[in-house]
Amino acid sequence: MLSELLTEEKIRFSSDSLTWRQAVTQVAEPLLAAGDITPGYVDAMIDSIAAGGTYIDLGYGIALAHARPESGAVRTAISMLRLTDGPAPLLDRPEHAVDLYFCFAAVDATAHTQAMSSLARILSDTETREALRAATSAADVTKLITRFEEDR
Amino acid sequence: MKFLAMCSTGLGSSFMVRMNIEDIVRELQLPDVTVEHCDISSAGPESADVFFVAKDLEEATAGLGDVVVLNSIIDKDELREAVKAAAVRHGAL
Repeated sequence: MLSELLTEEKIRFSSDSLTWRQAVTQVAEPLLAAGDITPGYVDAMIDSIAAGGTYIDLGYGIALAHARPESGAVRTAISMLRLTDGPAPLLDRPEHAVDLYFCFAAVDATAHTQAMSSLARILSDTETREALRAATSAADVTKLITRFEEDR
Repeated sequence: MKFLAMCSTGLGSSFMVRMNIEDIVRELQLPDVTVEHCDISSAGPESADVFFVAKDLEEATAGLGDVVVLNSIIDKDELREAVKAAAVRHGAL
C-alpha cells in the first residue's frame, strides 16, 4: 500500500526555485536520511536523467525519479517533493516542466509491483491526481492517499 | 494479441502503462489480449503486436512495427482511445 510507504516525513514542500538536479537531490533526501537508498542511488537517478532520461516525466507536471534496484536501493520506499513556486523542468526543457517529484526505490520485484501499482492507480485517477496537485501540506497528501485506498 | 508497454528500465513507467492497459482491456472486454511490460532494449519486432511507449522513446522504436506513442503515461483517456484504435487495427474490436 502506498499509504504505508509515503508517510508524512517522506513528503516535502518547497517554495525555493530549484534546478532539476536540486529537485531530484531534495526529493531523495528523506529516503537517504532514512537509509532507504545509498548516495549512489541519487547519483544514478541524476545520471540517467542527464543521459536523456526525461521518460520519468509522467505528464501533468509529475515526474517519477528512479534507478535500478542494484544502483543502491536498500528498502522499498517512496518520497515526494512538491515545488510550490514554479517547476524545475527536466534537463531545463520547458516541455518537461515538473513541479511534483516522486522518488521511488524498490528492492525486489514483488514490493516494487505493489507500490508501483498503488502509485499508478492514484496518479491515473483524474480526481485524486488533481487533489494531490492541490494539496498544500504533507497531512493533506497522506489523507487523500488513505482515502483513495479505503474507497477501493 | 499481445500489447507490450516499454520504457528505458522496464521498471517504472512501462509497468504503470501496462496496468492501465490491463484495466482498459477488461473495461472494453477485449478477448485474448495479453499485456506485458519490458525495457525497450529487450524488445524486438516479434515481441508483440502493438508496442506502447512514451513520446521520449519514440526514436528508439524504429523497426518494431505497430507503435503507439503516448503523450502522458498517466492519461487514461488518451490510453483508452489508443487501445481501442489498436484493437480495431488488429480486428479485435
